[in-house]
Parts: sequence; structure tokens; C-alpha cells
Amino acid sequence: MRAEVRSDVRNQAPAVRSRASSAVEVAGLRKSYGAVQAVREASFTVEDGEIFALLGPNGAGKTTTLEILEGFRTRDAGQVAVLGLDPGDRAAGRALREQIGLVLQDIAVEPYLTVRETLARNAGYYPAPRDVDEVIGLVGLTGLQRRKVRALSGGQQRRLDLALGLIGDPRLVFLDEPTTGFDPNARRDAWQIVRNLRDAGTTIVLTTHYMDEAQALADRVAVMSGGRIVAEGPPSTIGGRDAARARIRFALPDGYTAADLPLCDLPRAGLSRAAVAAHGLVTVETAEPTEALHELTGWALRRGAVLDRLTVDRASLEDVYLRLTSDPGPGEPGPPTEGSTR
Amino acid sequence: MTATAHRTRRSNLALLWHQVRYEQLSFWRNPQNAIFTFLFPVVFIVILGALFGHGTGSSYFYGLSTLQYYVPTIAALSVLGSCYGQLAVMLAARRQNGILKRVRATPLPAWTYFLGLLAHCVMVSAVDVALIVGIGRLYGVPLPANWPAVAMALLLGAACFCALGVAVASLIRNSEAAPAVVQLILFPLVFISGTYLPIHSATLNRVAGFLPVRPFNEVLIGSFAQHTGLDWRNLGVLLAWGAVGGFVAIRRFRWDPRPE
Repeated sequence: MRAEVRSDVRNQAPAVRSRASSAVEVAGLRKSYGAVQAVREASFTVEDGEIFALLGPNGAGKTTTLEILEGFRTRDAGQVAVLGLDPGDRAAGRALREQIGLVLQDIAVEPYLTVRETLARNAGYYPAPRDVDEVIGLVGLTGLQRRKVRALSGGQQRRLDLALGLIGDPRLVFLDEPTTGFDPNARRDAWQIVRNLRDAGTTIVLTTHYMDEAQALADRVAVMSGGRIVAEGPPSTIGGRDAARARIRFALPDGYTAADLPLCDLPRAGLSRAAVAAHGLVTVETAEPTEALHELTGWALRRGAVLDRLTVDRASLEDVYLRLTSDPGPGEPGPPTEGSTR
Repeated sequence: MTATAHRTRRSNLALLWHQVRYEQLSFWRNPQNAIFTFLFPVVFIVILGALFGHGTGSSYFYGLSTLQYYVPTIAALSVLGSCYGQLAVMLAARRQNGILKRVRATPLPAWTYFLGLLAHCVMVSAVDVALIVGIGRLYGVPLPANWPAVAMALLLGAACFCALGVAVASLIRNSEAAPAVVQLILFPLVFISGTYLPIHSATLNRVAGFLPVRPFNEVLIGSFAQHTGLDWRNLGVLLAWGAVGGFVAIRRFRWDPRPE
């Protein structure tokens, strides 16, 4: 049952929201804890209305960076502007928090209030909150309005946490590992919620360990490693992904060895490398996948052989990420192999 | 009219009322906790009444009957328990659970949050004191004559001990240690301040007179039983401690479970 009418503030909001400046601007950010330099030198920009993902291994400085943007931590050096305000300025704190929504890593909700009461309480903190029942529907907690928080499952509590981040109708939402612990269906749901928010004009900054999440959601990603931003760009091109060679993979047909493959007949195909993994899967890296694929499948058809488990892909975001974040120099992406290299 | 006009903040008072309501709702939704909060002083005064009820005045109790003495000191103890003890433990637990950090993530001003807690502590104190005075009445202890003085003493005492509770919560690192630290400070203080037994050592009384608990006992004994109105000298000591607590709280209070 929906007691309240949808607020018309959201319909008017985009006109107010459009701003020339970026949602988040960070330049030369630095933060140390004692002798530990958590953030050494971070600079990046989040544009208005985009989904921006901060990637990096544990201890890379993601959460520290996020908490500085959220106003939880002070910084040692650098410039930070969030919606044009300085999160380090206590006097601007209330104005900033009225416009941002936070979903923190750990669930923290008081156990004895109901779902609806928890949201209604927080809604009262904001000048123009969203409708409580609308937000409950948005995160998929419809029907649980009257349930006490402590009776919710872990996943439901995280949904409530997300709802608390959205109740103030924020212009900018920070999500710190928003889907950790979700089952696959719940993750898809959460992704759709985030996309819908972006489509409604909200800027999203999220951190994640999941490369598929960054790939599926983010308009742009920044990879953090050792307290530095080591790469920044759209997920499809970051770290030279778009320039990388395509990978053709298939199982070696029975009775053939890697030497039988027509790979040396491909001088114009820009073939760089073929490798046979221990489990019999051949990987061919090439700048000309169309031609190489034609040669390979033609070869197999002529012999009545089957290229089992045949796939063509490019270096995944995860491959690029692993290369960017592996500490002792850039390593070569690709499967661990024994076999021939050309 | 622009959308900005919709984004007007509600008044400070309305926001405070909102916060007080939900803080109360949160408390009453946990009936076990609520019952035990109020049961402790009740059990205490019932036992003392059964032991010493309907007695006459003695010089040991400054001319008061035994229960006439204990009604104000146990009332003071219940205020200490709810404002200083429970508040410190609750804040340490809420910080550890990340609830305080979540509060900090919203635009709710810190002073509103703390006033909401103060209102809660004053409510608990008022109910406790009413129960203690009511049960005392059953044992023949006359009701306080000067209610405005009693109310003022309780309000100021609650505020000071809340400030000290927040201060202690600011200095405690983890919530597991909180009850022990709170008790370690409270127990000897209560003992030397004449809560359980009147102290007739001039030296001890002079020392305890500079600490927060004895002045509060004196103020309550005065306004409950001796009809002396407000004892401003003792209230002054109490308010000074409240100011110290407030200062420490403002300087050292942390919302985040992890250190900066």
C-alpha cells in the first residue's frame, strides 16, 4: 500500500542538477597512517552523471580515498572537490551530506526498528527525501516494510543499507563494494538499480573487487595500486585493452599436435603466439582474428576434425587489471603455458 | 518556483523532535532492555525498604530516616546509571557496530543526535526517580515538597553525567572494555560519595566534594528531604564536571570504529 504520492521534486531536479563542473575532482591526494602511505598520489575526475568504478587490490587505497571524499577522513595533501564542496571543511559537511548518499562496506542498522521506520527516520534528516515506499520498492524490499531489521537476512539488510543511501535523493552516491556477499540474482538486481539511478541523472562512484561488475556497470574505471592511480579510462579501452590482440582458444583435436596446426601458413595474419596449455587448450593471439579463424576452421573442416570449445575474445578487464596491479613490473597476460611460441 | 525551494531544511526544533521520537521508538522496541533499565532501581529501593522501612530519624543519617536518606541517593544512582553508565556503554557499542558512522553519513547535525540521546537519558532518569519516590512513599517516605528544585537538579545532573558518559565513551577504544571501564570509575566514586552509606569522615567528604557524585547526592538529599531548595555550591561543582566532560567529548569523540 502506498500512502504517499510520488514527489514531484525528482521531475524538476535535472534542471537544477545540470552543472558545468565535474561531480568529483581529486588532484594530488595524499594520506598516510603513521609510516604507511595509504594514498601516495591520486588524481582523477568523475563527470556528472556517470558511473565511475575505483578498482584495486586490498590495501591499494580505495577505501581511504573514498572516505576522504565522503568526509570521514582528513587528507595530508592535495585538492578535493565533491559537488564543488571541500569534504575536509567541517562547515560544509551538512550541505555536502544533504546531496550525497553513502553505502558503506559494513552493514550497520539498528536492529529493533522496522524497515519502514528505519527509512522514515533517515528521510527526516534530508531537506527533500524520496518517498519511503518508493525506495523500499526500488531496492526490492516490498512486503517487508513492517519487518524488524534484525529479522532480515544478510542480503536484505544490505538492500536496506542501499535504500538508506538513496533515501535523501542524492546527486552523488558512493558505493563501497556494494554487492559483496550478494547471490548472482541479487547482484543483477543491484546493477539494474545502479543503472537506473545513473539514467535518472545521479552520479555514482563505486569500489569493487569484481571485474565483471566494473565491466557491466562502469562508464569509466580507475585502477589503484600501491596508493596510486595506475590507469584510468572506459572499461573497454583501459590499459590498452582495445589495442590488444584477439585470443582464439580451442581444444586440440584428437590425434593432432600443435605442430600440425596451419599457423605457420599465416604470415599475413599478424600471428604473435600460439600456446598449448597442459589441459590441451590451444591459445592463439592475433591482430587479425578474422583471417586466423578462417584458416583454422578451414583446416579443421578439411580434415573432418572438430575445434571443440572454440572461443574468440580479447584480453578481459581482469587480465588488464592483473597486469596493472601486479607489483614487480608489468607481467604478460594470458594463460600459463607450455608449448610453442612464434 | 524552482526545485531549490523544495529543498528547504526543516527547523532545528522539528528535526530534534523527529530524532527524539525515533530514539524513543528504538528504545521501547526492545522491551527486555527497557524493563531491566527500570527494574534495577526498583529492586534496589524495595530491598532497602524491606530492610529499613518506616524507621525514624537518626544522627547517622543526618536526622533523616534510613529510607529518607536512601530515596535521594538511589535516585542519584539511577541517574548516574542511565546517563553516565548506559550512555557510555551504548555509544561504545554503537560506534563498534558502525551505527555511529552511519549516522555521520547523514546530514543530521551532531548536536541534534546528542540532544536526542540526552532527552532519552532524561526520560529514563525521570521514570526511575518517579518509581523510586513512589515506592519510597509506600514505605512512608514523604514526597519531595519542592518539585521545581527536584526537576532542575535532575535535569542539570542528567546533562552533566551525560556529558561525562560521552567523554568516557570518547576515551574507550573498544566496546568490550566499556562496561568494565565504566564500572571501574563509577564504583569507588559511588562508595566514597555516601550513596550506600553516609560518610562521616571530614577528609573523605572534602575530597569527594570535588568529585561529581557527592555534590549530586547532596543536591538531591537537600531538595528531596531537607527542603533546602537548590544547593548552588554543589551544583556548581557538578556543572564544572559537566563542562569538563563536554570539552573532552567535543575534542575526542570519534564516530568511526577505526582510529584516524
